[in-house]
Amino acid sequence: MRPLARQELPTKAVFYSKDTSVSHKIMASASEDVETTRGDGGESPNTKDDEKKEESLLECNICLDTAKDAVVSLCGHLFCWPCLHQWLETRPNHQVCPVCKAAISKEKVVPLYGRGSTKQEDPRDKVPPRPAGQRTEPEPGNNFSGFGFGDSGFHMSFGIGAFPFGFFTSTFNIGEPRPNVGPHGSPQYMEEQFLSKVFLWLALLFIAWLLYA
Amino acid sequence: MAQNINPFLEQQTTGIVKENDISKRPQSDSHAVTKRLHKELMTLMMSPDKSISAFPEGENLFRWIGTIMGPKDSVYETLKFKLSFQFPNSYPYTAPLVKFITPCFHPNVDTNGNICLDILKDKWSALYDVRTILLSIQALLGEPNIDSPLNALAAETWSKKDDYHKYVMDMYKEVQIN
Repeated sequence: MRPLARQELPTKAVFYSKDTSVSHKIMASASEDVETTRGDGGESPNTKDDEKKEESLLECNICLDTAKDAVVSLCGHLFCWPCLHQWLETRPNHQVCPVCKAAISKEKVVPLYGRGSTKQEDPRDKVPPRPAGQRTEPEPGNNFSGFGFGDSGFHMSFGIGAFPFGFFTSTFNIGEPRPNVGPHGSPQYMEEQFLSKVFLWLALLFIAWLLYA
Repeated sequence: MAQNINPFLEQQTTGIVKENDISKRPQSDSHAVTKRLHKELMTLMMSPDKSISAFPEGENLFRWIGTIMGPKDSVYETLKFKLSFQFPNSYPYTAPLVKFITPCFHPNVDTNGNICLDILKDKWSALYDVRTILLSIQALLGEPNIDSPLNALAAETWSKKDDYHKYVMDMYKEVQIN
């Protein structure tokens, strides 16, 4: 956990030092002194101190408490969703990250789901639910393979001609690609081959019977 | 809990409002504020920095008295300034009202103790706390913003060190609170 703190503090200082206003310079020096005190604490073998530091890494930047219904801004700063929501509501025309003043918005925060985080959700009457995480489905593989009718999607057959001689038929197949043919050598493949042969012979027998009848 | 009620809220409760109605929403809010102020008080008390300090005034957690020592190598170096903090119910989403109690001759402080500091106005962020405000004001003492003065005389004399020092000392008098 400690390298995280190390990384975060200097970036703050860099940001503030870019800005020329007095107050920001002060913030830079303030965060530097936070860094030094943290560094000192790290050297001592005091486990209580270490625990405290690790906890403070997961504290909301607004209420200074452990973040509940945690969300992270795209600039990487952690907040409770109710806290951040109220901050955004306070200044709807000027939505900036309280820590680094980067532009943020309700749509551009990422919720953090820890283990069992859904259980401890408290009923919040006026705060809207925190935005849901976005999940995109993986692209379906483009493995269309030729013959056989699938059992999904929409199929339409269309033909001209007397019953047995349906030679001018066409098939519309709209929707999902057909299910894959089983890989070569697998039991599914063998079965399919067998069935297709059986039906081919049946069809030929049927045609022959019609001709001779 | 009773002593930690925002003065603004107190005024409301003395009105017509029924017991059940008031305590629902504002109390959960003010509870969050109290909690945060408690945390800030803890960090300030643990802080090794001797040049700044702050403590709630009396029983009410929404009013604090802060103290800063003048920054080193400035005219204010040996002086001790007291400031009053008044926290709104919307803290930390809006800045507290901070004023000098000790008279202070400074370009960005007027005769009533009002302070012109960007982070207390439009640059306020919920991340700032009593400690960073005190540090900011301390730094402001040493580096005034001459371009937007509240005290024009102080802004003019800033460059003349001897005159400025005299003004500062004339105006300064230590204030005892309780």
